[in-house]
Amino acid sequence: MKKSTSNKMRLGIFISIGIVLLILGIYFIGEKQQLFRSTFRVTGVFKNVSGLQIGNNVRLSGVNVGTVDNISIVSDTSVSVEIMIDENARQFIKKDAIASIGSEGLMGNKALIINPGTGGKKRIESGDIIATSMPIDIDSILMKLKTTVENTADITGDLASMTRNIESGKGTIGRLIMDKSWRENFETTFINLRKGSTEFRILMEKANDIDQAILSVKEAIENTSNITSDLAKITASIESGEGTIGRLLMDRSMAQNIDSTFIKLKEGAAGLKILMEKAKSSWLLWGF
Amino acid sequence: MEKIIFMQTNYEKQEEKAKQDNSSIIISDSVFRKFFIEVYSITIFTLRFFKEVLKPPYEFNELMKQSFLIGYKSLPLIVITGFIIGLVLTIQTRPTLAKFGAESWLPAMVAVSIIREIGPVITALIFAGKVGSGIGAELASMNVTEQIDAMQVSDTNPFKYLVVTRVVSATLILPLLVIFADAVGLLGSYVGVNIKGNVSAYFYFSQVFQSLEFADLFPAIIKTFFFGFAIGLIGSYKGYNSNKGTEGVGKAANSAVVFASLMVFLIDMIAVQITSLLQN
Repeated sequence: MKKSTSNKMRLGIFISIGIVLLILGIYFIGEKQQLFRSTFRVTGVFKNVSGLQIGNNVRLSGVNVGTVDNISIVSDTSVSVEIMIDENARQFIKKDAIASIGSEGLMGNKALIINPGTGGKKRIESGDIIATSMPIDIDSILMKLKTTVENTADITGDLASMTRNIESGKGTIGRLIMDKSWRENFETTFINLRKGSTEFRILMEKANDIDQAILSVKEAIENTSNITSDLAKITASIESGEGTIGRLLMDRSMAQNIDSTFIKLKEGAAGLKILMEKAKSSWLLWGF
Repeated sequence: MEKIIFMQTNYEKQEEKAKQDNSSIIISDSVFRKFFIEVYSITIFTLRFFKEVLKPPYEFNELMKQSFLIGYKSLPLIVITGFIIGLVLTIQTRPTLAKFGAESWLPAMVAVSIIREIGPVITALIFAGKVGSGIGAELASMNVTEQIDAMQVSDTNPFKYLVVTRVVSATLILPLLVIFADAVGLLGSYVGVNIKGNVSAYFYFSQVFQSLEFADLFPAIIKTFFFGFAIGLIGSYKGYNSNKGTEGVGKAANSAVVFASLMVFLIDMIAVQITSLLQN
């Protein structure tokens, strides 16, 4: 009898723990779906919900604040989404909040993302209709991607024909790569360039000597400039009639004196000539 | 019962007659006949169970005793298995997820696997092995030693006392055992995650419950009632209808396990179809 009672107690404990575990499981799963918290509901109308499902998370600033409660097609262009949000998050969501559909990760579920709205507005009320924005549609991205891929295909096609031309030696690059004579020309050009650069180096080394020559030339030029300045001075003094040559060239009176001197010399010479002729005829000088 | 005996004698006569014609047809014919007779007997047995279960008097004490023997005594085995399954599943899943850089999904994936499928099915199979064979062997040996006949004589309904209590306790206890196995399996998985990483228990279990939904938990728990019922019923049927003789005991225990395990998978397949239909 005693054993039977202890067995019953053990069975009781076993069943109790089992039921408690089940209740805990239900509570924690329900907690995620906000079953045991006070919540409020708002509705958003979308054109396309992009695969959003009942039970998906609702996020406000990246924090899960609720779940999608119901999705129903209203008409061919609108889908009504009922959202259940935690009462504590209401203070952050304003009347002009915008709901959009995003995803939880690259491969994850869809999530409804709420942009809280501007600070000055009133809080959102239960049963309000929240504004929505169009989700980024993967199909439209894929359409754009398709155009990009087509363009890429064209480009690669062009590249292929270009490389074919190059391979067959057409065009400058093709000839450059494929034509033997061009290659030989280039080789010789390069050899010449190499020689040229060697000579240039030698030349540069010699340029050090040229520096010296340039210096002496500079000196000579300086001397020449001194000479010319002296010459300028001389001509200036000649022009102003200074000195012998100056007076010779520029003084009129001197010229007149010289003129009269020469006239007198001329007259003297003529008188002398006559005298000489007379002397010739004089007897005193017959023997000469 | 009389009907079955009648059918069997009638079938034996036909078999002898057919032997003269073609032996290969007889073999397939007899297999089919045996199978359908078995189906018929099990159906009758099940209907009788439902008839008896609602009819007073109720054998509460025996029910408690059987629940203790079936449930409480199976707990250590179930708990150890659950822990190991959770641990191994986590360790085995990690490399595959690591290939995709999705190791953070490990708790979620293991939790869904354990709660939805592995917890219930593994527990049911072990339960079938331990309890199904136990019930089959016990009832068969009672049948062999004519204790069942003795009960009938002493105005005790053996079906009610032996079969109903065992089937009901198996039906009610298996879901509890599965809850234990799930909880311990998740604990094992937590240990498994921490073998190659450092994750706090709070973070691990919050990830687990984030990934789970009622749609994972309730269908899994509901199907375990059916598993328990099938295991209890088949064990009892095989034991109750065993052949007289020591050979019959072993045969009853063996076929109870085989048939109960098969039924677990069949019910699982039907359950998953119903669950996916309801979810869509």
